[in-house]
Amino acid sequence: MDSQHLNPSSLKSRFTARFLRALIKINAQKPISSSSPREIFQRYRRIKVAADKSMAYSVRSRRTWSRATLWKLRSQSRRRLASSGRRSSIKTRTTTTTTITTTSTNHRAAIVEKTSHEKENKEDHVGLAVQAEELRELVPGGESMDLCNLLDETAHYIKCLTTQVQVMKKIANLYSLE
Amino acid sequence: MESKAGTTETRSNITASDGDQVAALESLQFTDEFHRLILAPPSDNATSLTALLELPASRALELLHSPASAKLIAASASSFEALKGNFLFPSNTTLIDQAARSSVFAGGVNNTNNKSNAPETTSNNATLNLEKAVKSEPAETESCQPLVSDPAVEKRNFKRKDREKKAKGSTKKSKTAANDSSDGPEKLPYVHVRARRGEATDSHSLAERARREKINARMKLLQELVPGCNKISGTALVLDEIINHVQSLQNQVEFLSMRLAAVNPRTDFNLNSIFTTESGSLPDSNFPSMVMPLIWPEVQVNGNKQQHQQQWQFDALQQPVWGREVCNNYITPENSLLSYDSSANSVAEVELFSSNGQWTTNKQRCMQIKLKMEL
Repeated sequence: MDSQHLNPSSLKSRFTARFLRALIKINAQKPISSSSPREIFQRYRRIKVAADKSMAYSVRSRRTWSRATLWKLRSQSRRRLASSGRRSSIKTRTTTTTTITTTSTNHRAAIVEKTSHEKENKEDHVGLAVQAEELRELVPGGESMDLCNLLDETAHYIKCLTTQVQVMKKIANLYSLE
Repeated sequence: MESKAGTTETRSNITASDGDQVAALESLQFTDEFHRLILAPPSDNATSLTALLELPASRALELLHSPASAKLIAASASSFEALKGNFLFPSNTTLIDQAARSSVFAGGVNNTNNKSNAPETTSNNATLNLEKAVKSEPAETESCQPLVSDPAVEKRNFKRKDREKKAKGSTKKSKTAANDSSDGPEKLPYVHVRARRGEATDSHSLAERARREKINARMKLLQELVPGCNKISGTALVLDEIINHVQSLQNQVEFLSMRLAAVNPRTDFNLNSIFTTESGSLPDSNFPSMVMPLIWPEVQVNGNKQQHQQQWQFDALQQPVWGREVCNNYITPENSLLSYDSSANSVAEVELFSSNGQWTTNKQRCMQIKLKMEL
């Protein structure tokens, strides 16, 4: 308990480091004196994306939900870049983009194929289909998993979310303290 | 020379090898190119990964003939996972040294094996051996294998599922036959279910029962994770609680990021101070001492806020929808901060969220936040 955060490779410290770095970058980007709601909303969105992304990166794609989050964030950023018309960044990203899209499409194809084979085993708990659906919506990447793996992912997701909330709370407290 | 170094390394790696010269030679060539691929970090991570996968595709055909190659695959799996990590992140050479996940690469090589022309029996043996080693970490395998096979050809996926189904069929039969491991000396680390008295010994029901037990075990784990779930009995209610908890956590993340966005303007950020206080505040014994200085300035700021309520009421009314919505939910971090009990903190917060009935003083809280921004 004492050394959990001081352990440099724990989830918490990895997430903290990444998130703080992202926060510094976000702070450096925008002028600090802005206080209009629009600016704050933009910054809020960026911070939220940074938080989710740094948590997903800290998990290092070992989990389905982290991969799904990363893929979603990347496609969102790609769409945003495409709409803003920044050609140069699109060019540099095309190679990674194509591999990521093929990755994700193959991934989804594989998963869907697997679950279609396992559908006959899916209705173990018939009465829990509703909650299972809700859980699938909540947990990123949970749409195409059987209940067993879904519960696994949920447990890990909850653990990571609690870490995220703890760290962000502490950072926010420190901010308001200064 | 490099080839000699590769030879010695592989000979030392394959300890249980039969001294099969063919296997050694092939592994030598394999590690050679492998090390070359690893030691030259590519400019573009994606191409290196695909190049790496093409390499095993050609090599693995020969390698998988010998069961001794499993060790080599273990050695290469660590490097493979390193490159897989490099695919997404900046290169981390420490991963290369980890000799952990043989299952990952074994799963990936299992895919490539499907393209081989080897006779069914030998390849089946090899895949079963690999899958036995693989199944020791079933969750990891299943989660990693799709990613492994992704840059590869699509047909690999379909064939791999056939293999998996065959293996699953064989494992099911092993269950019903009660500990019959016919294929090799390695035992499957599956739960061996014995049919109880009066229960059906059908393979289907046995498999279903095993699945149900797995699911129940995971539900127990989740119950421990989610606070307040221990008393609830019944899977449906527990799942409801879990769903609530996940929703509340996601909301908390949103509000905290909103708070960070709002608080940012007036602070000067010092990374070192953050890290020192982070590491210092986490142990529970220090928690009260950390909490007290936090409460104190908050209370003072709140005192100021009360005075300006009237002034900002008009402003709050004209906030855009998103602002009001966020302000509605913004109560809880503030409340939690004020009611910062060292022991029951997180529990109190979760209860506030799940009750969902505290969204009364919306506008006041909005004003507080706006004041914070102004300060």
